[in-house]
Amino acid sequence: MSTTTQGRLVLLGINHNTAPIEVRERLAIPASRLAEATRTLLHQPGIREGLILSTCNRVELLTLQDEISDGVEAAQPQIRTNLLTFLQEYFSVPPADLQPHLYEFREREAVRHLFRVASSLDSMVVGEPQILGQVKEAYTIARETGAVSTHLELLLQRTFTVAKKVRSETQIGSSSVSIASVAVDLARKIFGSLYGKTVLLVGAGKMSELAARHLIEHGASAILVANRTESRAKKIAADFADPTVHTEAIPFDDLYTQAPRADIVITSTGAPQKIFGRSHGQHFLHSRRNRPMFFIDIAVPRDVDPRMNEVEGCFVYDIDDLQQVAAANLADRSREAQAAETIVSREVDKYHERLQSRDAVPAIKALQQQAEELRKAELVRSQTKLAALTPEQREAVEALTRSLTAKLLHPQLTALRNSARTKDPE
Amino acid sequence: MSLLWLKVAVVLYGIAALAVLPVALYDRPRWRHIAIPATVAAVFFHFVSLAEMLNAAHHRLPVDTHETQTLLGLLLALAFLVVYWRYKTVSLGIFLLPICFLLGLVPAFHPGQESTSFPLIHTGWIFLHVALLLAAYAALLLSLLASLLYLIQERRLKQKSSTLPSLPPLETTDQIALKALLFGLPCMTAGLLIGSLIAQATVGASYFRDPKILLAFAMWLVYVAMIYIRRHSGLRGRRAVYLSSFVFLVVLAVWAANQFSSVHRFTAP
Repeated sequence: MSTTTQGRLVLLGINHNTAPIEVRERLAIPASRLAEATRTLLHQPGIREGLILSTCNRVELLTLQDEISDGVEAAQPQIRTNLLTFLQEYFSVPPADLQPHLYEFREREAVRHLFRVASSLDSMVVGEPQILGQVKEAYTIARETGAVSTHLELLLQRTFTVAKKVRSETQIGSSSVSIASVAVDLARKIFGSLYGKTVLLVGAGKMSELAARHLIEHGASAILVANRTESRAKKIAADFADPTVHTEAIPFDDLYTQAPRADIVITSTGAPQKIFGRSHGQHFLHSRRNRPMFFIDIAVPRDVDPRMNEVEGCFVYDIDDLQQVAAANLADRSREAQAAETIVSREVDKYHERLQSRDAVPAIKALQQQAEELRKAELVRSQTKLAALTPEQREAVEALTRSLTAKLLHPQLTALRNSARTKDPE
Repeated sequence: MSLLWLKVAVVLYGIAALAVLPVALYDRPRWRHIAIPATVAAVFFHFVSLAEMLNAAHHRLPVDTHETQTLLGLLLALAFLVVYWRYKTVSLGIFLLPICFLLGLVPAFHPGQESTSFPLIHTGWIFLHVALLLAAYAALLLSLLASLLYLIQERRLKQKSSTLPSLPPLETTDQIALKALLFGLPCMTAGLLIGSLIAQATVGASYFRDPKILLAFAMWLVYVAMIYIRRHSGLRGRRAVYLSSFVFLVVLAVWAANQFSSVHRFTAP
């Protein structure tokens, strides 16, 4: 097994595929303690550079460790032990609880894993955009604590470039896969921008409130809340209170007169019968001079008569419809993930080649320096014979010897670079 | 030489028409980088070709059907670019660019041989009359196509298709349709007014008794009525397409009447 001159890259971690939540939550590091944890990691023997990525789905230690020239095979367990010791000591978790869930990647495979993680190919929901931000945050903290310098700096910058490339060259993150974001997407297909739009929340429920929050985040400017219990309506409206959002609790009895004010209606009541029928849709559209209305019916049994969808300008999506769109989008992402994997593989090769070329740099520099010294020595030896030359002639001789040296060195330098590139990383 | 530039423009329209399909139907935005530059280049060559064509014929306005078609195609391509610049959507190109391609195709490979003896052919007013009316027709066609796009998107949303193509939002297409109509109204009004003043000066009152001319004024009334209905009842979707289609048929009838009118025909065989 060969290694690079910059050190040995090792990545140790657990994620949602290898460890249940009970284990992951024991290793989770809050953002406020990440800097201190990174410093502690850096104090472990043999660790030159390090970064800790801690999200709800993974905890990973990316480290650059000292090169071990002799007894490499024997040293392998030691490298892992250092990181394990850190995990056990820092989190006070017995080794037996951790060992079955840990994975480890080295050198080229560590690079591949990091590229995949940042490109959201290793995420629970493939293509989700948060992970790149989390990797960047981990990088910023590690950099501020002095835990990232030359090698990891190069690797992480490349990681961000690859992640952006995957996003721009594939459609991996273009479609929504959660109910709330699907609802936002659909609303945008109807209204374009959501700025200035009014949302009516009928009933209460976590999912409906989440959908309403997503709509506000995307620009909706008013929330009307209708609930059979008025105090509950007022409380929900208060929960949405924000200087940029108009909130209003409306009496349930005024629901049908107030509903035409809303562009988007989210219903999630526990009513056994339908609240909105087809005729309501016609009436609302008439009041709104045919401006479209979007009904998101999250209730089971449903609150909105599906026949309302037949009314021109009314769009009714129930929970099954939303889930169906989300599932189709997820399938699309899986297809795009294959294209993304190809990009990652290509980028791993490129990165490795670049790294190997960097390995050859000291040898190349030494060879060039030696040749230059020889050239200068030969010129000094012939100084007396060249004394009669004019400054122009001396300059020409200088140029000639420099050119000859470069030409003579060229095959050796090329061979060195090629040899570094083709060197087996493992 | 003008035909060569027109042929180049037609080829570019064809390329652009194909390139918008992946953008609009399969959500492949990178094809936009082919569609838009190809359309811009096509518009440039189209303009050069038209200018050379008119210059060579020593008149300022399109005389025969082919020249008029060419100018209409150019205006539609410009409308597509304006919509792209304003709304960042190329979806209308699904319809508009093939129309530009077809409007340029026949004149490019089979140029018209007609001539005219109309005395005011070299005046700027007559050019304005033709150009403004063609701009109104282009605006109406744009509005009709935007309404069609609205209808397609509305159907897909109602069918709850899990893979919705990358069509513009309903409100955007509605705005395009309405704004195109609002742009077309002053063009049509001014175009008809200028035409009427020229006719009054050259032919006299008898001009206004011609069925083609009466149909043209009826077209203006229908156009105004359509805008009124759309604005005041918020007409959208299927009914908006029906209404726009009806007005478009009236416009086609007015256009076709050019071939039969005794007082309003540009060309003489």
